[in-house]
Amino acid sequence: MASIKKNNDSDDRVSEILDVIMSYARLDFSKKTSFKGDDALDAIGAGVNMLGEELETSTISLKEKEQLLKEIHHRVKNNLQIVSSLLSLQTDNIFDKKYLELIAESRNRINSMALVHEMLYSSKDLSKIEIGEYIDRLCRSVHQSFSKPKSNIKFKFNVEKELFFDIDYMIPIGLILNEIVSNSFKYAFSVNKGQITVELSRSGKDYKLIVKDDGVGLPKEFDVEKDGNLGIQLIHMLSEQLDGKVNVTIKNGTSYQIIFPEK
Amino acid sequence: MDTLTPPKDAIEVSKYWTWMGNDGIGRTKTKPACEVKVSDAIENSAAVTALFTGKKFPLLIDSRNIKSMEREARKHFSTNGRETKINSFAVLVKSPLSRVIGNFFMGLNKPPVPARLFDNEADAIEWLKQYL
Repeated sequence: MASIKKNNDSDDRVSEILDVIMSYARLDFSKKTSFKGDDALDAIGAGVNMLGEELETSTISLKEKEQLLKEIHHRVKNNLQIVSSLLSLQTDNIFDKKYLELIAESRNRINSMALVHEMLYSSKDLSKIEIGEYIDRLCRSVHQSFSKPKSNIKFKFNVEKELFFDIDYMIPIGLILNEIVSNSFKYAFSVNKGQITVELSRSGKDYKLIVKDDGVGLPKEFDVEKDGNLGIQLIHMLSEQLDGKVNVTIKNGTSYQIIFPEK
Repeated sequence: MDTLTPPKDAIEVSKYWTWMGNDGIGRTKTKPACEVKVSDAIENSAAVTALFTGKKFPLLIDSRNIKSMEREARKHFSTNGRETKINSFAVLVKSPLSRVIGNFFMGLNKPPVPARLFDNEADAIEWLKQYL
């Protein structure tokens, strides 16, 4: 009889320890095992309690670091927006169209980077963002900066769902996209009507980004090396940064295809 | 061999007795069913520091009666970033509970001075003698 009672006691104590372990697994550190004696189960219970204390401290420290990272992304975004606003303020005293365009281009580049930081601090894991949403928001922002009355330029997106990229990918991809879409707005549509298509898909270990418009295209004799403006040079430089290859096709508009590998 | 019965002139604080042995090895011993909080740890280190007479010394910690030690206390005892007057320490454990606590303390806190767990007093003293 006494032996059965002892077994029941042990079962209860083991259940209690397991209960506490499961609480810790759920990151609930409010529970602790109780122990009165000094046998093996009490020792295990004490070990579990100490493990809980260590885990709780690590979890708090991790949460604090996450908060700090969020704060940094927020501040970087704010600072980039301040730079963009300062550039905008400078345009008050500039009337030369050429300089106004240069400033607008710079602002768009800054905004494409600010958007990455904005989306990172709003994202769940703070390290990656879903590129589909980014492409949509970036293109809308570029569209707005080039919008003209009665403009009928539309976007078509075909971006694979659930594609997440970290900041090392996002900044170059964002800048590349900004340059190509801006070029389309600036040069492709003589009648303010047309379509810009953005496609991004994954095939094996490579990603394929296609940005094309159905506008008038670059002049046939256009040489990227010789005639390319800063925007085109940036597209090539940033693609290299992604270890990617750029292929430009001019047929029924301009099409950029950039294939880059997973890092 | 029993060098761990506190003498009459031992420093007595809430959870510990602390004294200097005739062999030059400091000793500190937990009271029965001892639950160590950070305040007890601070009290204990003050008592250990009071044994200092100009030369750092080895310390034998008798934890055989310990029941629990909270995290902040473990952190304090690890001596990391804290000026101490000891050059090494040996922790004496016996019961399953004191073994778990001792192993946890040693495994996670990585003391900056040589430190080891023992379940035999004579072996602990023999090991500490090299730091005299």
